[in-house]
Amino acid sequence: MSKWFRENAPISARELTDEFMRLKRGSVSRRHFLGITGLGLAAAVLARQPGFLASPAYAEDLGSTMSLATWPNYHDPATFEAFTAATGVAVEVNVFGSNEEMLAKLQAGGTGWDLFVPTNYTISTYAGLDLIEPLDLAKVPNFDPKTQNTRFTNEGTVDGKVFALPKNWGTTGIAFNSDKVKSKVTSWKDFFEVAQGEATGRAMVHDYQLTTIGNALVSLGFSFNSIKPEELAKAEELLIKVKPHLYAINSDYQPSMRATDAWMTMCWTNDGAQLNRDIPEIQFVLGTDGGEIWSDFYAIPKSAANKPAGYALLNFLMDPANAVKEHIANGAPTTDSRVLALLPAEVTGNKIVYPDEAALTPLEFGAAVTLTDPARAELMARFKSA
Amino acid sequence: MISAPTNDIEFRSVTKRYGAVTAVSDINLTVPKGAFVALLGPSGCGKTTCLRMIGGFEQPSEGEVLIAGKVANGVPAYRRPVNMVFQQYALFPHFDVEKNVAYGLKQLRPKLPVAEISRRVGEALEMVRLSGFAKRRIHEMSGGQQQRVALARALVNKPSVLLLDEPLAALDKKLRTAMQIELQTLQRDLGITFVLVTHDQEEALSMSDLVCVMSAGRIRQLATPQEVYDRPADLFVADFVGKTNRFDGTLEAGGTVRLGNGAALPVSRKDLAPGAVTVALRPEAIRLSRGTGNAATLEGTVTHRIFLGSAAEYSIAIDGLGDMLVTAERQTQNDLVAPGERVAISFDPGTAHIFPA
Amino acid sequence: MALTMTAKRRLVTTALLAPASVWLFVFLVLPFIAMVIFSVGERGPAGGYQAAFTFAQYANLPARAAAYWNTLLLAPVGAFFCLVVAYPTAYYLAVKASPRHRLLLVSLVVVPFWTSLLVRTYAWMYILGSRGIPNLLDMIGIADVRLLNTPGAVLLGIVYGYLPLMIMPIYVSLEKLDRRLLEASADLGAKPVSTFFSVTLPLSLPGVMTGVALVTILLLGEYLIPQLLGGGKVFFIGNALVDLFLQSRNWPFGSAIAVTLVAIVVVVLMVAMRIAWRISGTRQVDLI
Repeated sequence: MSKWFRENAPISARELTDEFMRLKRGSVSRRHFLGITGLGLAAAVLARQPGFLASPAYAEDLGSTMSLATWPNYHDPATFEAFTAATGVAVEVNVFGSNEEMLAKLQAGGTGWDLFVPTNYTISTYAGLDLIEPLDLAKVPNFDPKTQNTRFTNEGTVDGKVFALPKNWGTTGIAFNSDKVKSKVTSWKDFFEVAQGEATGRAMVHDYQLTTIGNALVSLGFSFNSIKPEELAKAEELLIKVKPHLYAINSDYQPSMRATDAWMTMCWTNDGAQLNRDIPEIQFVLGTDGGEIWSDFYAIPKSAANKPAGYALLNFLMDPANAVKEHIANGAPTTDSRVLALLPAEVTGNKIVYPDEAALTPLEFGAAVTLTDPARAELMARFKSA
Repeated sequence: MISAPTNDIEFRSVTKRYGAVTAVSDINLTVPKGAFVALLGPSGCGKTTCLRMIGGFEQPSEGEVLIAGKVANGVPAYRRPVNMVFQQYALFPHFDVEKNVAYGLKQLRPKLPVAEISRRVGEALEMVRLSGFAKRRIHEMSGGQQQRVALARALVNKPSVLLLDEPLAALDKKLRTAMQIELQTLQRDLGITFVLVTHDQEEALSMSDLVCVMSAGRIRQLATPQEVYDRPADLFVADFVGKTNRFDGTLEAGGTVRLGNGAALPVSRKDLAPGAVTVALRPEAIRLSRGTGNAATLEGTVTHRIFLGSAAEYSIAIDGLGDMLVTAERQTQNDLVAPGERVAISFDPGTAHIFPA
Repeated sequence: MALTMTAKRRLVTTALLAPASVWLFVFLVLPFIAMVIFSVGERGPAGGYQAAFTFAQYANLPARAAAYWNTLLLAPVGAFFCLVVAYPTAYYLAVKASPRHRLLLVSLVVVPFWTSLLVRTYAWMYILGSRGIPNLLDMIGIADVRLLNTPGAVLLGIVYGYLPLMIMPIYVSLEKLDRRLLEASADLGAKPVSTFFSVTLPLSLPGVMTGVALVTILLLGEYLIPQLLGGGKVFFIGNALVDLFLQSRNWPFGSAIAVTLVAIVVVVLMVAMRIAWRISGTRQVDLI
């Protein structure tokens, strides 16, 4: 375990946060958490200090609460404490396991989210459905398009308008516990074979059609984004064959991996980095046969109740000084060269977080069509109910 | 010497305690074979506890309960050759009449043939005049009919003793009288021992051969109904069974009792030592005459009259003594006394019960 | 002008029933009507609902046949296992426990309800997970035992979660069982076992049916326990609904499945009432 991690966020508090996030997926009230831990009082006292509120960036009335929809294990709790201390706005964090779920919630309306974290391939859909609106970049002075790696950021722009700003990028690879799994695992083909062999009863796939179906397709030599019926049929056949051997179908795999309940899982970069940092025998590899490369964005829903606070948090997170802490805590690679410059060598040299370009070559970005394709949704349902 | 036991039920120094409460205290009781015994007493006197000890629902804390000559202590209810008609009947609500009655027969081992069961159920229903009701459900039956189902259910196994726990309490008066006669007939026809628990003295006196009057967990008197009525063993029995006029007085040497108002009444008790006594007089043992009497009589004024047809009940304020209840059979059509009239009362010395105070 | 007695009584009745009626209408009837309307609609191109009149969604129900099958199997099986555990407990509480301790023991049955089922199910995740019982087994040399995310874990969670709902109605029916009926049975020569099967059990069946119906109906909509203790591999109608509304955003199909589920619940309830009436011989059955 690295020293800098401990300094930034005590492991116990982090675990507690994780528990709470998992506990009530989608509706953990940050305020409630602060109340329980006793941190709320400290934050409130800090918030009253003159000077914090005097910042010109927060000249607008930000209210006292805002709501963020994001992914599990994706933020440093200290970031929100600092934001609350600086602005007096408490952040309610809602956690989701798939883009579909976020889209469904926004489509149904009444989410109350002021900021959320969609993945690259969904943004055009959100924009098309008029669920998000172009960002007023004047309200995000900390964002600098010139320092961004456009390979990961261009999908935030639809029809020339910026709808979303990059959070970080990442990959979907394989995490496995090398104490338990001795077989060679370097591809998705290996993953599904080992899942039925050495790791039977101990492997996890996501409760997420994009990656679970996508990686099955990759293992069969097809495109990650395929919607061709005959290719999907082959993937379905594989998934249904593998299912009896699975430990779980769940996108929140960290607890199971940490507890050694599960030995192998589909895994996002940031989770892979976190797991490997705390439990070195848990290794993270990218499929040599392919897989997903992605970037996550921040966007503001059209229905946001407290847009000023949404912008304030977005701007706060775009500040390299704040972003660097986030990246150190969650282990995802940055799209911003300013942040990259601030990261310690331990992080930038970590091959899980910043793999060699060669390893990224076979990977594909998710395609928008998979999000709304009914055939993939039905395939997922058949797989889960098999 | 080996002989068939002549007693169906026997209590030997039986005591039953519930924690600190003694429900039944050192009871000795024998019930002869084929007798109809009534356990009579106010609620809480221990009569039901006694019945439940015979049934096997309670075990004595001390002493022994014998059934047909064998000690039954520790024998569970389902192994005892006795059956019970429960208060409010405890019929199985989920069975029809037939199944209720057949219940006991179905428990027999070896199993009875179905035809045999249905024959005996038919007989039992006929016995209680419910032949057409076999398929009725219990809640479709009237109180009296349920009572008879309970009887049939208890008798179908041909027990040597039938226990009846306040069997008539839930019936109206007219039905109760009819059932009293029916039970008596049934007992005579079957010839088995009936043990009846009741708080109703009229019921006990009218049906049973033997009345066991109980109070506070003890037996006060075990005797025929007539004996209990005519010669109550103590003041409690005299009071509880029938109506009684009570006066305090002093027994004087020579066989007279001097009452509070100074009157001296002749009594026929030579066995008692002189001293304070209570005199108990049955209302029907008292004779009434208009006008004044002699030194051995009491005088008073009629305050109320209840006309009963064949008799009349009077409440009389005896001079210097208090109220007295008198039941007078009518001899002629104009021997009724009107309220306000002065009367003299007298009685046969033998009918007055004297109890030491 | 004075109201007549009947009019007054009617007014009082209306006033008493109004809050519940309004509540039920707004939160039960209206949503149900919306669901029925959705169920004959079409899925929008990007998900959601698009007005239409078609029975295509109902025709498509076989696509979730596996979910229905799992649910219709799980609900009665889960209820049965609940019953097997609950009956002896209720019997002990109502018949055997001393009256002095009864209230305490009964409240102990209810106490877990004061905590969220979610939290209690999470507790089971830790007990059954590698750091729980398998860890203890590991200490005595039995390595790599997996308890979590197995059908057994789901069953355990269900029995645990729904036990109080099964115990209480059975307890109530046993508690009000006339003890003299048991004595009458013994008096007529029935051994205790025979008394239990001929009298106690049949007369407690209304409570059993209430418990079974209650647990079965709730299990028909169960989603959380299979998700948490079954690792998402066990797919019930509840899970199908969550996925249809929250993942594939197929509201019309989800509505059709939900309407069908409601129909199944109504049928289950009616059958349960029939059985309870028949067995107890009266119509005085408190079925929920």
